[in-house]
Amino acid sequence: MERRTFIKLAGASALASPLARPAIAQGTTTVRWWYHFDNPQHSPAELIAKFEAANPGIKVQAESIPWGGGNDYQTRLFAALVAGNGPDCAMVRLSWAARFQQMKALSPIDDLIAGWDGRSDIADNIWKINRGADGKQYYLPLQYVVLYLYYRQDLLEQAGLKPPGTFDEFRAAAKALTKGDVSGFGLRGGAGGFDHWGPFVLGGGANFEKGGMVSDKALAANRWFVDLTVKDKVVPASAPTDSFRQIVDTFKAGRTAMTIHHVGSANEIVGVLGDKVSAVPVPRGPDGKGWTYFGDESNAVFAASKAREAAFKWCAFLSTAENNVVLNKFTGQLPIATSAAKDWTLHPKRFVDASAASLPFAASLPDSPKTPDFIARIWPANMQRALLGQIQPDEMMRAIEQHFHG
Amino acid sequence: MTSLTLAHRQPLGRSLTPFWFLLPAILVTAGVVLIPVAQTAWLSLQDYLLYDPDNARFVGLGNFARIARDEVFWISLGQSFIWIIGVVGLQFLLGLAAALLLNQSFWWRGLARSLVIIPWALPSVIIGLMWTWMYDFNLGVINDIAMRLGLIAAPIAWLARPDTALYAIMLALIWQGFPFFAVTILAGLQTVPAELYEAAEIDGATARQQLFYVTLPSIADVIATALLLRTIWVANSLDVILVMTGGGPGYATHTLPLYAFLRASSSMEFGYGAALALILTAMLLGVVYLYVRRAARGIET
Repeated sequence: MERRTFIKLAGASALASPLARPAIAQGTTTVRWWYHFDNPQHSPAELIAKFEAANPGIKVQAESIPWGGGNDYQTRLFAALVAGNGPDCAMVRLSWAARFQQMKALSPIDDLIAGWDGRSDIADNIWKINRGADGKQYYLPLQYVVLYLYYRQDLLEQAGLKPPGTFDEFRAAAKALTKGDVSGFGLRGGAGGFDHWGPFVLGGGANFEKGGMVSDKALAANRWFVDLTVKDKVVPASAPTDSFRQIVDTFKAGRTAMTIHHVGSANEIVGVLGDKVSAVPVPRGPDGKGWTYFGDESNAVFAASKAREAAFKWCAFLSTAENNVVLNKFTGQLPIATSAAKDWTLHPKRFVDASAASLPFAASLPDSPKTPDFIARIWPANMQRALLGQIQPDEMMRAIEQHFHG
Repeated sequence: MTSLTLAHRQPLGRSLTPFWFLLPAILVTAGVVLIPVAQTAWLSLQDYLLYDPDNARFVGLGNFARIARDEVFWISLGQSFIWIIGVVGLQFLLGLAAALLLNQSFWWRGLARSLVIIPWALPSVIIGLMWTWMYDFNLGVINDIAMRLGLIAAPIAWLARPDTALYAIMLALIWQGFPFFAVTILAGLQTVPAELYEAAEIDGATARQQLFYVTLPSIADVIATALLLRTIWVANSLDVILVMTGGGPGYATHTLPLYAFLRASSSMEFGYGAALALILTAMLLGVVYLYVRRAARGIET
């Protein structure tokens, strides 16, 4: 070997070795899995140990990726896939499905699901929600949350009101509860706040079809929603930029009487407010229709994976009854496996019930490559400008229509 | 000039020798700077979506034409100027004042000099989170103190109001960055010979005259270098804004690098994002040129 060739080869292998997968023993398949837990101190090590003991030929290399409101995780995942260094499988959201589809990052897993015992333990409507546009399954459901309305039982009782079930009741309650330094509704206008806007505007008649944001009904619903801030002033002055941490902390501090979030924050809130807090499904619109966000989380096996079956085995393991329970202990969400949900005790029952009661009208956002940008940029910028009176509410709806339909 | 004329008289091999010594550095610079920059320039000429790399199209200057018509670009550009001038200017004044104080002798000067570094040593994300909670509408300490002192009647949502959000973030960044000026200027101050002050005092100069006619002219070089460096850093910084408001409310805290980042990161429009970043780079090149010229002069003398 010439000296120069040797140096080149040595250099190349030195560069490549940290990237190479550890080949511990011959015949061992390594599955790289990306995940995120809201609490970074939780680790899936216990689940991995159990899985590896049951599947001696497979090693799981779990990589915790920062979530960053979804944007950080998503950008890293797409960048890794484009660069050809993506994981074999990863936790994914439905709203990214169209982007995956467009870059052909996924392949159907119907054949693998058919051979998996646990498939009947996941409800039919969940399989349906997670189905691709072409009717094939690309995602293996893992866990879920449904957005519901938190309310202060004590304050509502003092005001002689019952938990609001309709928009009108909600507005009346929010007005009645706004007193002194307490605001009726802790509105989330910052990152991720589309799930506060959806129940009232999508539930009030707007939709993502062409023209669906600029119909008379849609425009009226959005004006009504903006008026909660601009005219009724039932939200804190910081609402336009308040995000997850602010709405939860403000509610815990007793500065708001109602807010919208999911079971993931229930234990934290009950820890402070105890029996003073409860939950109901979000209010429904004038025509009895409603909309709430189905916060999905699935695992997907990527088309580029050389360990397709082993990766599926690991994902299926996580969605199987008792393992699914352990996983949800770490994530604070609700198990997807029906048998695991039955005896669920990790959250107070009233919040699990409110989640279940919300399921019939829970929906995800449209399966479009433009959805992630709607969540991260178009919605917040336009919503905030509308809430601050910098643009008319109708302009906001036109901007959303423009974003999806040009 | 002399080295150039000398080179002509020497054999070719020998005049190339310095370049061989430079080669490793040039290769590394090319690998980590020049190639990525060229790639960005190439990206800026394409309609490149990260989730749809197969359908990337060459659009020439199309992205730049779109930028010229983009309302948000112009808003971001205007706010970038406010951001740079306000932050660098106030950091400098505060840093100068701190340096002059720390140059006095008092018994806990050593401690004070270490303490002043703290904001500079903290990670930007921590600073962003810390100030976000200090500014918080319901629970923030700033509203609390201001109300107890009777400065304001009701709490102010500092980060949610378009008229205060940008300035609130600027204050956080000024706090973070002034130690850089303080330390740099302090180092400069210590090089000013004491004889100059003695002479000035003998001539009957007041403290104010000493500052303007002795101190400042003596450290003018240090100040100029620090200002240029800091301008480049502040113009590029987006981390604190990203943590504190993400650019909101609306576009109230959008600056150019933040907008480029949002377009590249959340919209995954790498072509458009690259074009925005290039515009920022082109504008900063002017400042970089001044800095490099200054640095080169330092080497020659």
